[in-house]
Amino acid sequence: MASSSTPTTISFLSRKNRFRLFGLTLDDCIRTFFGGNALISVVVLALITFFLFKEGAHFFAQNDRNLRIYRQAGLEYVDFIRTQSDDHTALTRSLSDLRVRTLNELTQKQNRPLAEANAALAGFDAFAGQFSDAVDPLRSLVSDLTEQATEIKTKFIVAGDKQEERNQLLAAGKTAEAGRVQIAVINFQEELKPLLATLPAYREANQAFATQLKAVMATAPTLPTPELQGRMDKFKAHTRDYLATFPAVEHKLETWDYLKPVPFWQAFTAFIFGREWLTASFWQDWYGVIPLFVGSLMVSLVALLLAVPLGVGAAIYVNQIASLGEQRFIKPCIEFISAIPSVVLGFFGIAVLGQALRALSQFTWLSWVPGFPFSERLNILTAGCLLALLAVPTIFTLAEDALNNVPRAFKEASFALGANRLQTIIQIIVPASLSGIISAILLGLGRVIGETMVVLLCAGNRIAIPDFTAGLGVVTQPVHTMTGIIAQEMGEVVRGSIHYRALFMVGLVLFFLSLGINYLAQRIVRRYRLSIG
Amino acid sequence: MVIADPLSMDTRSSVPTPRPTMGTSSLATAGDSSAPASEILIDIEHLDFFYGASQALHDITLQVEAKKATALIGPSGCGKSTLLRCLNRMNDLIDGTRIGRGTIKIRDVEINGRDIDVIELRKRVGMVFQKSNPFPKSIYENITYGLRLQGVKTKAQLDEVVERSLRAAALWDEVKDRLHASGLGLSGGQQQRLCIARAIAVEPEIILMDEPCSALDPIATAKVEELIHELKTNFTIVIVTHNMQQAARCSDRTAFFYMGRLVEYAETRTIFMNPGNPQTEAYVSGRFG
Ligand SMILES: Nc1ncnc2c1ncn2[C@@H]1O[C@H](COP(=O)(O)OP(=O)(O)O)[C@@H](O)[C@H]1O
Ligand SMILES: [Mg+2]
Repeated sequence: MASSSTPTTISFLSRKNRFRLFGLTLDDCIRTFFGGNALISVVVLALITFFLFKEGAHFFAQNDRNLRIYRQAGLEYVDFIRTQSDDHTALTRSLSDLRVRTLNELTQKQNRPLAEANAALAGFDAFAGQFSDAVDPLRSLVSDLTEQATEIKTKFIVAGDKQEERNQLLAAGKTAEAGRVQIAVINFQEELKPLLATLPAYREANQAFATQLKAVMATAPTLPTPELQGRMDKFKAHTRDYLATFPAVEHKLETWDYLKPVPFWQAFTAFIFGREWLTASFWQDWYGVIPLFVGSLMVSLVALLLAVPLGVGAAIYVNQIASLGEQRFIKPCIEFISAIPSVVLGFFGIAVLGQALRALSQFTWLSWVPGFPFSERLNILTAGCLLALLAVPTIFTLAEDALNNVPRAFKEASFALGANRLQTIIQIIVPASLSGIISAILLGLGRVIGETMVVLLCAGNRIAIPDFTAGLGVVTQPVHTMTGIIAQEMGEVVRGSIHYRALFMVGLVLFFLSLGINYLAQRIVRRYRLSIG
Repeated sequence: MVIADPLSMDTRSSVPTPRPTMGTSSLATAGDSSAPASEILIDIEHLDFFYGASQALHDITLQVEAKKATALIGPSGCGKSTLLRCLNRMNDLIDGTRIGRGTIKIRDVEINGRDIDVIELRKRVGMVFQKSNPFPKSIYENITYGLRLQGVKTKAQLDEVVERSLRAAALWDEVKDRLHASGLGLSGGQQQRLCIARAIAVEPEIILMDEPCSALDPIATAKVEELIHELKTNFTIVIVTHNMQQAARCSDRTAFFYMGRLVEYAETRTIFMNPGNPQTEAYVSGRFG
C-alpha cells in the first residue's frame, strides 16, 4: 500500500502536459521574449555609444595634425599680426558707432538739419579717417605674409594627399604606380625663412603705426554732450591699452618657434573651449564647439523661460483649479501640440513668427525693449519661442503628473486649516511636487536641446558667439546650434575627413548633455518619490 | 471674517441648561436624554445632501452640544463622513455636491449662507482625517501652518503655540527634541496626534474627527482616546467611528445612521444599553454592519 501511494502523489503533481518550444517551457519563452526586448534596447544604446566614440576619437588625431600644420606652416605667426590688425578694426568700428550716436544727438535731440549736423562732424570724420588709415602698413604686411603661409600650407597638404594616393596604390597592390607618385618633402625651416625674414619690416611698420596712432589721438575732437564725451574718453583709454600691447606682440613674434610641440591635449581643448567654428576656410579651419554650444544653450534658455511658466502654470490650473470639463478640453489640446511636426513649426516660424516679431520690434514705442528693433527675423528669440511651444507639452504632462501624485489628503488638510486655494497651491501642493516639477523642466530642456528642425530653420544659422555686451538684447541675434550644424553639414562633408569627425564630436557632446539631463531628472524624481513616502 | 462676530463667544443665543447628573440611575431615565443637556453649538435641521444626482443624506436633524464629544456611528457608506464634512464645508471641494434642503447652524449662523466666509468657518471648525496626513514639512512647520496663514509671524508666539498644541495633543515629550525633523518621520499614532495638534493650533471651537483611530494600533488608539477625553474640556468634538467600544468610551452622545438617515440620537449610554430602535440595537450588538 505504502509503495503505491507515492507514484500517485507524483502523477497528481505533474499530470499537466507541459508546452515546450525549442526545449523551452512556456515560462522560459515569456522570459526570453520580454528579456530579449529589453536586451535589444540596451544593445542598441551600447552600439550607438560605441559608434559615436569610435568616429569621434579619430577627430583628436586629425585635429592634432591640423593644429600642428597651423604652427609649422607659419599660420600662427601671421595670425599674431592679424589679430593686432583686427583689434584695430574693432576700435575703428566703435568709432563709427560713436559717430552714429553723435549724429543722432545732433539731429534728433538738438533738431539740427542733417547737412548741418554732418558738417559739424567734419572734424570727427577727419580724425576717424586718420585713425582707420593708420593701420595700412600693418595690413599690407599681413596680406603678404598670408600669401606666403598659405603657400607653405598648400605644399604640405599636397604632399599629404600624394602620400595618401601612394598608400592607396600600395594597398591595391599597384607597386609600380605607387613608386611613380612624387612626394615633395617639405623642409619647414627653409620654407619659413622668407616669412621670418619680414620681422624687421614688421618692426618698422609697427613703429610707424604706433607713432601715427599717437599723433592721431592728440587730435581727437571733443563731443557735444558729457555722455558722448564719456564714450570718447573710454575709446581713448581702449586705444591706449591697445598701444600698450604692441611690445608683447613683437615679443611673441621674436620668440615664436615652429618646432615648439603642440601639446596633445590641445586637440581636445581646442574643440571643447574653441571659440570658433570655421570650416572649408582658405586659411585655417577651427573646430571649436563653443559658439554652437552657446547657441544651443541660449535658444534653450529662451525656450525654457517661456515654456516653464506656461507649462507649469497650465499644469497647476488643470490639476488644481479647472473643472472636469475644462480638464477634458485643455489636456488633449496641449498634448496635441507635440503632434505638430517640427518642420511645420519651423516653417511657421520663418513665415509668420519671425516676420511678426520683427515688425513688432520696429514700433518706436517698443524701442525700450532690449534688442529692439532688430532686422534679422531669424534669431534666438524666434527659435526660442517655437521651441517653447514644443517644450510645453512635455513640461505640462510631467508636471501635471507630479501634481497628481501629491496625496489629496494634503490638499484637504490645508483647506481644513483655513487656507485658500492659492495658499494651498503655493505652500503645499507645489513644494510637495517640486522635484517632480523640476525634473519635468529638465526633461523639457532635454527635449528642446535635442530639437533640430526648428533651430535649423529659425535660429538664423550664424556661427558666432552672440554679443553678450548687448545685455538682454542678445536674444535678437542669430546663432547656430549643435543640432543644426550636424543636420546642415553632415550631408556635405567628405566621409572620414576632420570636418566629418568634428561633427561626430558635436554629436557626442549633445549625447552626453542629454544623458546628463536625463540622469539628473531621474535622480530628482527618485528622491521625490522617497520624500512623499 | 464676515461671520467673525456672530460666531464669537459673546453672542450665545441658547440658554445653557444645567447638566443632568450622571448617576447609575440615568440609564433608567433614558427619555430625559432627548432634552438638551447643555448649550447647543451645532444645529442641523432637515438636511438633505446630494453627490450629483445621488442623495447621501436624508432629512437629518441633529443638535450637537458644546464641550462634549458626539459620536457618529453606523455601517460603512451610511453618510457619517458626508455629514461631518458638511460641518466645515469640505464637501465644497468635491464637484457636483449640493445641499438640497435644510440648514446647518453653528451658534445660530447658517454656515451655508451666501455671505459666509468659508475660510473663517474652517478656522473655527477644525478637522482630523481618517488617514493621518501631516504635510511633508517639519513638525514645527506642520503646526504653525494654520497660524502663518493667518499672518502670525512672531517667533515667540509661534514657539508658544507649538508647545501648547503639542502638549495638548500629548506629543510634546516625544518630539520636543526634533521639532524640525520631518513630520513624516513619526510613527502612525504620533502622526495622527500631530494632525490633532495641528488642528488645535488654530484654536477652533469644534474639532471634527473622521475615524481618527482606524489606521492605528491599540496602544496608539488608547492614547488618542485619552486625548479626546482631555480635549473635551476646551473643544466640542464630533467623532465618526467604526469602533463601538470607542464610541462608548469617549463620547457623551451618539448618533446612529443607517442608509443616509439618522436612526437614533441619544446619550451614549442609552444607545448602547437601552436603544430605542431595533436597528440600533442590532447594530450596536454587532448583528450587522
Ligand atoms: N465623492 C463622492 N462622490 C460620490 N458619492 C460619494 C462620494 N463620497 C461618498 N459618496 C457616497 O455617499 C455615501 C456616504 O458616504 P460616506 O459619507 O463616505 O459614508 P461613511 O463615512 O459613513 O462610510 C456612500 O454611498 C458613498 O458611496
Ligand atoms: Mg467615512
